[in-house]
Amino acid sequence: MSPDLVVSALGVVSPIAQGKVGFIDALLGGAHAFRTLSREGRQGEERFIGAEIANLAIPARVESMCARASLSAQSALVVLYEAWEEARLTDVAPQRVGLVIGGSNLQQRELARVHESYRGRARFVRPTYALSFMDTDLCGMCAQQFGIAGTVFTVGGASASGQLAIVHAANAVMTRQVDVCIALGGLMDLSYLECHAFRALGAMGSDRFADAPELACRPFDADRDGFIYGESSAAIVLERAATARARGCEPYAVLKGMGVTSSANRNPDPSLDAQVRAITIALESSGSSGGGIDYVNPHGTGSAIGDETELRALRACGLNGAHINATKSLVGHGLTAAGAVEVVATMLQMRAGKLHPSRNLDRPVDSDMNWVRNEPVDHSIMQALTMSTGFGGINTALCWQAWSLAAAEAI
Amino acid sequence: MEKTQIVDLIVHYARQVVPALADHDFSESDRLSELGANSVDRAEITMLVQESLDLSIPRVALFGPKNIGELAELFVQSLHVS
Repeated sequence: MSPDLVVSALGVVSPIAQGKVGFIDALLGGAHAFRTLSREGRQGEERFIGAEIANLAIPARVESMCARASLSAQSALVVLYEAWEEARLTDVAPQRVGLVIGGSNLQQRELARVHESYRGRARFVRPTYALSFMDTDLCGMCAQQFGIAGTVFTVGGASASGQLAIVHAANAVMTRQVDVCIALGGLMDLSYLECHAFRALGAMGSDRFADAPELACRPFDADRDGFIYGESSAAIVLERAATARARGCEPYAVLKGMGVTSSANRNPDPSLDAQVRAITIALESSGSSGGGIDYVNPHGTGSAIGDETELRALRACGLNGAHINATKSLVGHGLTAAGAVEVVATMLQMRAGKLHPSRNLDRPVDSDMNWVRNEPVDHSIMQALTMSTGFGGINTALCWQAWSLAAAEAI
Repeated sequence: MEKTQIVDLIVHYARQVVPALADHDFSESDRLSELGANSVDRAEITMLVQESLDLSIPRVALFGPKNIGELAELFVQSLHVS
């Protein structure tokens, strides 16, 4: 790993807040927005529990591009704008800026609506559907709006897509394809069909809390019964410390290590071995040991077997002493966006010197872990590890060092 | 349907697809390409008009008209044929 690869700016939108200032306040306050999903195109033959973005505020600069854009594209433009402004990227040559959008099949609800609208009269389908049905349309919109002329592409890793985007953005900077690369976790816009399928698969809850949406999302709790969906998106700007500081940007953290592994398994069941390998690779590439990590932001979806497997992996890697909380308990599972949103949550907690509570963690499945439960905890994160896993057997782990510690070591 | 009504439809969808034209004072001699509508925008506008009229026009025929008035005339003729 490059010793000075840093996060210089962030953007985020979630059901509990839009923008990083509101987001960290909402996280620390234990906010949530879980209820019956009501967005058009998300009601099937049954109702689903989740968290939706109530009112996406569109900045004037991206208003025109957003006018005919999908929810996924609008969210991408919004979080990119926030990160772009914070990182002052207008001062960087367009050819030296890149963008990696994590996620594939992002706009399922929009596509389902098109299919239904034009069934039997396909000759009238909008010509722009030939552009918009592809996830790369988000790349095109973002690149055109902000004049990004370096490497621009999408990368698919199911629920690990957000972290996978960070891995590829980091590689683009380390190999000097660009000086600055934005990793963006795309908003996965589920239609009622995916909701039905996730429920049928047993992945999405909640049978147990059908009449109490506020109780349904409970990662790592004994009464969990699956993930609860939440709309979200996030952008993370990666670059070398020197270029960030030259523009007056104070980095959040240093990306110290990355691990990406496959469990060589098509099915959704998690793999202890593949997770341990991802964590081990990330730790080794960072030069850290498990004992040196003082905060873990886990994948933690609320899956019965997934949560237990992840805790076993953390324990096997010596991470059981680290503080741990569950960001998804507050914002839901953003699927393709989750890894990026959770890295933003980690960066903001680092800067705040506080850890957010975990909702509904009444009876942790492993009571010996160092949980942050009902109340926020004062803690200055020095070394963090963030985890994601995705269908397709994809596992990612990233190691982060607080900028304050890195600066003290005079990198 | 009268030609003026179809011109109004074209203008309606042109403003929808190209928001910058919201305040433009349209005339039949206007060319969409000169008003800032790119090729994708123009394809979108003509498809929206076809959908609105429940009328399919061969793509090759849409290359003929040189301005909004001529495009509206093509739609009028096609309505009479269909």
